Amino acid sequence: MEEEKGANPKIIVAVQMTSIGIILVILGLTVFVLSMLSMSGAVPTDNAWTPYIKTCSVISNTGIILLGVAFAIGGVARFKQAKKQE
Amino acid sequence: MPSDFIIIGMYLALMFAAGIFFSRNIKSTADYFLAARSAPWFWIMGAVWATNIGFLHGYLAHGGAAYEWGLIQANFEWFQGPFGYVLTGLFFIAFYWRAGVYTVPHFLETRYGPGIRVIYSIGWLIFFIITIAAELYLGGMFLKNILHIPFWPTVFVLAAVVGTYTLLGGLGAAIMMEFVQFIIMMVGTIPLVFILLNMVGGFEGIKDVLLTQWNVSPQYFSVLPDNHHPYGPGPWIILGQCFVVTVGWCAGHQSMVQRNLGARSLYDSKLGYVVAGLPKTLGAFLYIVPMIAAPIIFAKHGIFVEKADAAYGKLILNLLPAGMLGLFIAGLVSAGLSSISGVLNSSSTIVIKDIYERFMVKGKPDHHYFVAGRVATFGIMVAALLLVSVVARSPLIMWLEQTLLAILLGPFMAILILAIFWRRTNTPGSLTGYLVGSAFAIYYQQVLGQMVFFKISWWSFVVALAVTIVASLLTRRPKPEKIEGLTWESDFHARVGDITEQRAQNNGTKVTQMPEIKVTIPPWYLNLKYWATGILLVQLALLLFFG
Repeated sequence: MEEEKGANPKIIVAVQMTSIGIILVILGLTVFVLSMLSMSGAVPTDNAWTPYIKTCSVISNTGIILLGVAFAIGGVARFKQAKKQE
Repeated sequence: MPSDFIIIGMYLALMFAAGIFFSRNIKSTADYFLAARSAPWFWIMGAVWATNIGFLHGYLAHGGAAYEWGLIQANFEWFQGPFGYVLTGLFFIAFYWRAGVYTVPHFLETRYGPGIRVIYSIGWLIFFIITIAAELYLGGMFLKNILHIPFWPTVFVLAAVVGTYTLLGGLGAAIMMEFVQFIIMMVGTIPLVFILLNMVGGFEGIKDVLLTQWNVSPQYFSVLPDNHHPYGPGPWIILGQCFVVTVGWCAGHQSMVQRNLGARSLYDSKLGYVVAGLPKTLGAFLYIVPMIAAPIIFAKHGIFVEKADAAYGKLILNLLPAGMLGLFIAGLVSAGLSSISGVLNSSSTIVIKDIYERFMVKGKPDHHYFVAGRVATFGIMVAALLLVSVVARSPLIMWLEQTLLAILLGPFMAILILAIFWRRTNTPGSLTGYLVGSAFAIYYQQVLGQMVFFKISWWSFVVALAVTIVASLLTRRPKPEKIEGLTWESDFHARVGDITEQRAQNNGTKVTQMPEIKVTIPPWYLNLKYWATGILLVQLALLLFFG
């Protein structure tokens, strides 16, 4: 049985990259905003390590946002390239 | 904590929306079951790592076991990395590609005939449905305990989200979500681990407190404990874990293999699998080492942990500030959902490709099987949901999962190794060996009362291997044209296209989108041998340091 003509694999990867990027950026920004609003800012086991834990959270979150931006930009660029080749 | 609820809710909504958005690109069965064979190597790496980390395997269950048993739990990470991923990537995955198959059972049929395909498919299908039910149950319990939300509505929401994006987007959507999980867990966890280790004075600090002050057994810090250890005696870890369970899991688990068959080229597939060994090896630092440090943190802050499985949740609940906690829980939920998604997609692939299309309804247009795939995905999710209440009431379900794995993996490894490395292995031999090996695994556990999973796997492997060899020698050798292209000695490079075409016609299907067998020279930093050697060296260094 003939398989139907499938999707362009390059577009599939581009859509995946863009979606991953958007999800990471939205999530990262939400966490950032909610942390800034200090809806419940304190670390539960408050102690001398609290500033380090908060710093670690900020580093992680920034990393997630930056990776999200990189994926989104990369995805859009790949999408444009794949469309041009079609 | 309202902020955490907002983050988790938003995460689930984003997954749901991404699945619907992605589904617009899915047009055929190859798109649905193999993501249009589009995935580059780093997609494979992230997806293979993430599909293996869920509620059942990973942070909660493995972390809980490490809290209870100690460093021995790191074996699942440190041996599966170099042995499972590297060996499968280097030696086995290419044969699935060359056979032009969608599933592991399909490969077994190509080499041995339809009988073994049916038995293997049904065994894994049962295992997969139980796995989905157990993942949903553990996910519901985790969120109930940590956020104090009702169990059943949570389970239904999780099932609806994962069911929808898998049903619509197939393997491509599953891989996408697995990569999101990979990033959140890696980026989110690593800084936390450093902080945690600093809080307890490093690994030496943990050892000092537990061994000197608390008089914990030195076995708690042993990767390969002595022969009397009830959880996993050292020699059996090496035999059963390294050579049977981990390789069998990586080469025989449809969910793992399917990600590789969705790669854009054979080299991407192999490299993705080999490189996945690195995050797998380092995974021990994400949830095994923190759990060994956890008792000290709990004691310092007077935190009571009623059950080992709940230890990881308690740790992050008491350590992370609001917002970050929500993201971390979202990452854990993502881990569970991506595992469910992977298994769900693989189950529907087995149902459609190995049972429905092969034995029930042949020769329909591709669109028919594409729609049937979505119906199968829905049906399997409903079956798993019905099983959640059974899982909730019965501790036997975990026993059943382990028994099924022991039955599936040992005999599978025997016939897979012989399929590839011994041309003389034939259909009656493999079928007899597989059935006798499986029966022995059940007998060994049920009648002889053996409870060490690694022992069952090893001896069922040995029995299946011996019986297959003897039965094959007593019966007729397979025809050379039947096994051409499927064994180690085969000269497949020139003729692989003809062979797969012929096989597809014999099976009543004509496959037009065959995977490309590209032979290219990769840049040095993507060289398979360098990566494989590097991962083995990392493993060796870890064993020397912690062993």
